[in-house]
Amino acid sequence: MTIRFDSGCDPVTIALPKGRLAEQAVELFTAAGLPRPELDNGRKLIVESADRTVRYVMAKPGDVPTFVEYGAADLGVCGLDTLRESQRHVYEPLLLPFGYCRLSLAAPAGRPDTPLRYESQPRVATKYPNLTADFFRARGVNAEIIALSGSVELGPLVGLADLIVDLVETGDTLRANGLIETRTILEVQAVLIANRAAYHLKRKAVEQIIGRLRNYLTGKEKRGNRDGGNH
Amino acid sequence: MTGEMGIRSMGAQTPTGVADYFWAEAYERRRLESLLLDLFRRWGYSDVVTPTFEYAETLSERGSRELQSELCRFLDRDGSMLALRADMTIPVARLVGTRLHDAPLPQRYCYSGSVFRDVELRAGQQREFWQVGVELMGSAAPEADAEVLALTAEALRAAGIPHFRLVVGQMQFFEGLLQALQLDHDARARLTAAIDRNSQPALEAFLQETRLPRRQQRALAELPYLGGEQIDEILHRAEKLALNKTMQAAVANLYAICEVLAAQGVLDSVTLDLSEIHNLGYYTGITFEALAPGVGFRIASGGRYDNLVGTFGAAIPAVGVGLGLERLLLARRKGAAPPPPRPLAPDLIVSTGNRSDAFTFVAQARSVGLVVAIDLEHRRGPALCAYAELMGAQAAIDWGDGRPTLWRLDATQPTSSQLALDDVPHVLAGLMEARNIATASIQREAMP
Repeated sequence: MTIRFDSGCDPVTIALPKGRLAEQAVELFTAAGLPRPELDNGRKLIVESADRTVRYVMAKPGDVPTFVEYGAADLGVCGLDTLRESQRHVYEPLLLPFGYCRLSLAAPAGRPDTPLRYESQPRVATKYPNLTADFFRARGVNAEIIALSGSVELGPLVGLADLIVDLVETGDTLRANGLIETRTILEVQAVLIANRAAYHLKRKAVEQIIGRLRNYLTGKEKRGNRDGGNH
Repeated sequence: MTGEMGIRSMGAQTPTGVADYFWAEAYERRRLESLLLDLFRRWGYSDVVTPTFEYAETLSERGSRELQSELCRFLDRDGSMLALRADMTIPVARLVGTRLHDAPLPQRYCYSGSVFRDVELRAGQQREFWQVGVELMGSAAPEADAEVLALTAEALRAAGIPHFRLVVGQMQFFEGLLQALQLDHDARARLTAAIDRNSQPALEAFLQETRLPRRQQRALAELPYLGGEQIDEILHRAEKLALNKTMQAAVANLYAICEVLAAQGVLDSVTLDLSEIHNLGYYTGITFEALAPGVGFRIASGGRYDNLVGTFGAAIPAVGVGLGLERLLLARRKGAAPPPPRPLAPDLIVSTGNRSDAFTFVAQARSVGLVVAIDLEHRRGPALCAYAELMGAQAAIDWGDGRPTLWRLDATQPTSSQLALDDVPHVLAGLMEARNIATASIQREAMP
């Protein structure tokens, strides 16, 4: 079942992060009764729903907050890690129940686990230079941040860095590379973000979408609790 | 000429965040600026021009921390700290508070000028940008707030932006809520950030960490939903959530302003949002921003600042708005192409032969409103024609030998004819007509 949106003539544009998050977002949107995009093999970057009320834009995950801040997309789905790292000015009206992981600090297994404030000038490799800098600054540590775009675990192995900050889901990758998770910097999950202007200019449609998702999620939570009680 | 080679020398580049404007685009900016100033003057606002830089203290002590950290500072010859103005409101408040306070109130001022913020470049934000706006000083009445809102609406329409929304909030509602919650500095900052981002994750985390009585918790949880176009319904809900006199007064103030706006026919463009708490540090009452389709950020913003003028001397309540010139142009274009990148074309090019009757003709043509450029090289016949065509002119007059020949260039082939002096008014009228048609198609200027 889908609902019709009263969005005037303009469709609502939603930026989705290419990959697993987008699939989960589409799954959730469909379950909540929102118009479904006709995702093909992922080559098309703009996909409209059949009733043309919603337009999905497939973006690189890190670019979703940018699309939304500039108003190129009215809404977007991204991880809290990406959002906080981007420091973009957007609304974040709804947490979404997927994409769970954490942004963690990790050290080589042999390294003594002393309080962070005793570190003088650690070299930290990360894909998240802003969040990492904030984390160390808040603890008075003058860390040297080494921004990498992938395979951060390599850092300590080849002597590039003392520590790393990276996303951890199960911890397998860290362990395989002789690293131990020592601090959690941010609990991560997916979040729905909104352009500040679109939030007011397309209020009806945007509120309808958020309301639909919220109702579905609270309903699911209640259903989940009830099922849990039966056991 | 550097062409596509790039400008290599540092001394020839411009710093990031500032821009050159030229040709048709610069003209479009100036036109919009004067169109808005004219409108403001018709509403009774007087021009005010303040200096581009002031003592840093003047600007920094009165702005928010955000504004303070964004000041472009530099040293005076005597070592005192100066700063480029980061907005127009503080300088105008200084002028009125220190020097003009005993003139009859209310005083109405309009301005246009560039302001400077040393910021990281982000959506729609440069380090130098232009603001056109008004300050209405000396009235605390809701009628004053309504006037500035109505004037903003009229300015946006005059600027060629028919579809916009004015999102109106009231600082005192959130201020009253903060008073009721009695939070420490840290918690206050966290809550403000959460509300500012309309952030469910941050607000939920805050509600979990801070134990609050039920009524306060409800008011806080409801705050993000106190927005929309159903003015009465929202104000009614806000009234019920009010925890103290401050919050009640904020709602009553909005009721009063909306009543005047309804009478002015502006209320249809208004969206209320009590969770809008954007503050430059000096706002004390309503705050508002204007939004337009196709632009992801505010194109104008303003609010009431009753305590600012008083910090300079006489306590005078005030309300004002600043419209971002670049952003207005962006909203007006709405994704369409900017004006064609070429100099403005003259209507007419005249090769005078330095003859006085030619100069008399040129003066006459200019006085009826034609744009006339003189060919400094005394070109004749086809050479003059080719030059005029290159310049984009509609016509050229070759006066070289005392017998003026008129070349019309607006057809596919240039046509020439002898210009008889008693024919001049007719020729000028014809050129004016051609010019008006061309202007109308080029400028897309909105008719209010």
